[in-house]
Amino acid sequence: MKSTADKLVDDYLNRLNRELAGVPRARRNELVQEISDHIAEARAGLEQESDAEIRTLLDRLGDPAEIAAEARARFGVQPRQRNWHDVAALIFLLVGGLILPVIGWFIGVVLLWTSSAWTTGEKLIGTLVVPGGLALPLFLGVIAVSGGSCSGEVGGGLECSPDTSTPFLAVSFAIALFLAPLLTVAFLAHRMRRGDVAPAV
Amino acid sequence: MVAQQDALLAQMRRGTLQYCVLSLLENEERYGFDLVRGLAEMDGMVTSEGTIYPLLSRLRRDGLVETTWQESPTGPPRRYYRLTTAGQAALEGFRLEWRRFRDAVDHFVERTAGS
Repeated sequence: MKSTADKLVDDYLNRLNRELAGVPRARRNELVQEISDHIAEARAGLEQESDAEIRTLLDRLGDPAEIAAEARARFGVQPRQRNWHDVAALIFLLVGGLILPVIGWFIGVVLLWTSSAWTTGEKLIGTLVVPGGLALPLFLGVIAVSGGSCSGEVGGGLECSPDTSTPFLAVSFAIALFLAPLLTVAFLAHRMRRGDVAPAV
Repeated sequence: MVAQQDALLAQMRRGTLQYCVLSLLENEERYGFDLVRGLAEMDGMVTSEGTIYPLLSRLRRDGLVETTWQESPTGPPRRYYRLTTAGQAALEGFRLEWRRFRDAVDHFVERTAGS
């Protein structure tokens, strides 16, 4: 069972890890480990652990964005800006498959994985939800409307019921399939690392 | 003007902080938490304790400090930092330059306050 204090610390470390996107992986892991150890040491020294004490402790450590800015400055990593590369990745992931079938989406995936604006976990989500972006639900929609039978889907693993006896399910599924890539791209846009905080000590 | 002065002070702190770290390690090994608290105790040197860790990592990569893991009497093992020969040399070099610089600046800015 997790206490509020544990949750505060976990949130802090997760934010730090995210803010450190772009810093070489080994350095990043080392920093998160060191700061995690620091917090553990500080907590061990508290007479009575309260949420207020934990918050004070984390305040003393500083804003994760500030620590990350310092790390980038010390390691000579360029501060992250919102750039065309990251924006293009999102556009291609979403509608690339409509402009250039299949290939367009793959371009998005390549741009996504070569960007340092996201963590590996976020990139996995971006790739797997939903493969093909908006092209997949539209493609399946066209098949469903025109043919009625659907087999041999591009995304893989999708099964349509043999007839149209379950329109409600089919419609819900279609809506979910349509919303998922939109939500994923919105999520990635939100998580995109950009801008910078002036490094301070 | 005030903003400019703040920026200058921040730059000076950033630039000299690494030598303060090396100085703290001159006579004894210290683990991260201990080192950070040692620096933070001195008013005006560090505002966010966490920003010291990127510096420690950088010093290690530059070979000025080295680390060893040691058992702790109270909890999990700690990573101790210690000065290398190169670190010692860098510190001594800085010390000489710093004294000259400090005396030169003092000569002008402390003119009225001093003798």
